[in-house]
Amino acid sequence: MNQGKQLLIIDDDPDFVEGIKSILESAGYQVDAAYNPRSGLEALKTKPYDLLLLDIMMGRGAEGIMVARKLRKDPILSQIPVLIITGLREQIAFLFPGQPLHPHLLPVDELVEKPVEPQLLLDKVSALIELAAKRKAGK
Amino acid sequence: MEIKPRILIVDDEEIVLDSCSQILEGSGYATRTATDGSIGLRQVAEFRPDLVFVDLKMPGISGFEVLERIRTLDPSIVTIVITGYATLASAVEAMQKGAYDFLPKPFTPDEFRLITRRGIEKRELVLETIALRREKELLQENFAAIISHELRAPLSAVQQNLIRLMQELSDQVNEAQMARLERMKSRIYDLLEMIHTWLRAISSDIASIKENFGPTSVEAAISKAVENVYPYAVRKDIEIVVSIEEPLDPVHGDEGTLVEALVNLLGNAIRYSRSGSTVNVDAEQQTDHILVAVRDSGIGIAEDELPYIFGNFYRGRAGAGDEAGAGLGLPITRRIIEAHGGTISVTSKLGEGSTFVIALPAGGSGTGTHHTPEAGGPENPQGGRAT
Repeated sequence: MNQGKQLLIIDDDPDFVEGIKSILESAGYQVDAAYNPRSGLEALKTKPYDLLLLDIMMGRGAEGIMVARKLRKDPILSQIPVLIITGLREQIAFLFPGQPLHPHLLPVDELVEKPVEPQLLLDKVSALIELAAKRKAGK
Repeated sequence: MEIKPRILIVDDEEIVLDSCSQILEGSGYATRTATDGSIGLRQVAEFRPDLVFVDLKMPGISGFEVLERIRTLDPSIVTIVITGYATLASAVEAMQKGAYDFLPKPFTPDEFRLITRRGIEKRELVLETIALRREKELLQENFAAIISHELRAPLSAVQQNLIRLMQELSDQVNEAQMARLERMKSRIYDLLEMIHTWLRAISSDIASIKENFGPTSVEAAISKAVENVYPYAVRKDIEIVVSIEEPLDPVHGDEGTLVEALVNLLGNAIRYSRSGSTVNVDAEQQTDHILVAVRDSGIGIAEDELPYIFGNFYRGRAGAGDEAGAGLGLPITRRIIEAHGGTISVTSKLGEGSTFVIALPAGGSGTGTHHTPEAGGPENPQGGRAT
């Protein structure tokens, strides 16, 4: 059922990308990876992705937030569901201590913490894709 | 070459200005003068003095106002008021408002030189303190950033791959091998958690939780905290007994961090209790305070250790061993409680147990004993001047 679903990962740590890519591929997703925000944004324009997995701490700071902001401004890209994967808890944990935090950077987003359990990752990915499909159908 | 300390003298009497300039001539200071308040303030902005002498009695803008405006402009500038003996009371008033010292008229050249030197020394101390504080903050921030990205990221990547490998290899490794992989995973998990706790402790951001303060139910915080540690208590066969004298007023605070503080206290209580024993949580309201006590009958804390337990990285002697934590739970707890305008205290007896008591100001709007002074006023108006 996941066959043909296209996912993009933007994360500057190739090793981490390998780890989650193989989980997602085993579930039948097609996964591309971009290792910096710029090539990530370029990739997003090349084909219609079903979901974006986005790292927050990239480069010289929270460059993932910048990516999210750019997506939000774009009428088409802002419709892509985004799963934020981050080790950022320590920086923003003060706002949501002890809770899975949910910054709502985008209309459809969710957050998981690095490292992520495979089943949790797959659950969140399929739930987000489903939610986005429903939103689309509802319009 | 060293930069000359800059001194500005604001006085409407030309003779005072002239004599002061003369006295300081050749002493290694750069001196400027102003004959009234508005010229003086312009000079402050332009000349950026280290020390300003201000006559309290001047036509035009009063000396008090000049002092006030200098403080808003740059609170690190040291001010000294010039005043006649007859108006000593106003000199005291000026000092209460932040002037560092006063110079009574008439004064001798030696008196003026001495008070100038003291003023400049004070200014150097102020600047040094600011620089040190900035350096400390910078270090903490950088340290936090380094730990978060440089330590956490590779560990996360290792863990992610390990988790995936365990899945992929699950039908190829035997039980003992899988157990070792599980151990690796759990050790890495512990490391990640430890990094997280350290970051929490060194981050200067606990005060920023105040931005999200609102009416918060203490009962709800207690029940969430108990829920959080419940599995741990069950594992150690410890009963948690909660007794709340209702109703409690809400406190002005942040539920998440209050829960965290209580979880730390409860976690410690359970950690240092013998299995089969009880941990009590009692809450009650005493006029304007809500008291929450977490009491255990565990190993207790030696009297000589009590003063240190709220410091970073301190671990009790009796607790050293398998049950040791990172030594950061209590300092974090204290900072959370203090951010709420509350206090935390402890009584303990070695071998008999410990009781931690949190006192929080009651009332959802942050009233109680911790009134903020007037709006916009400085945080700490000249507390320890006499030292």
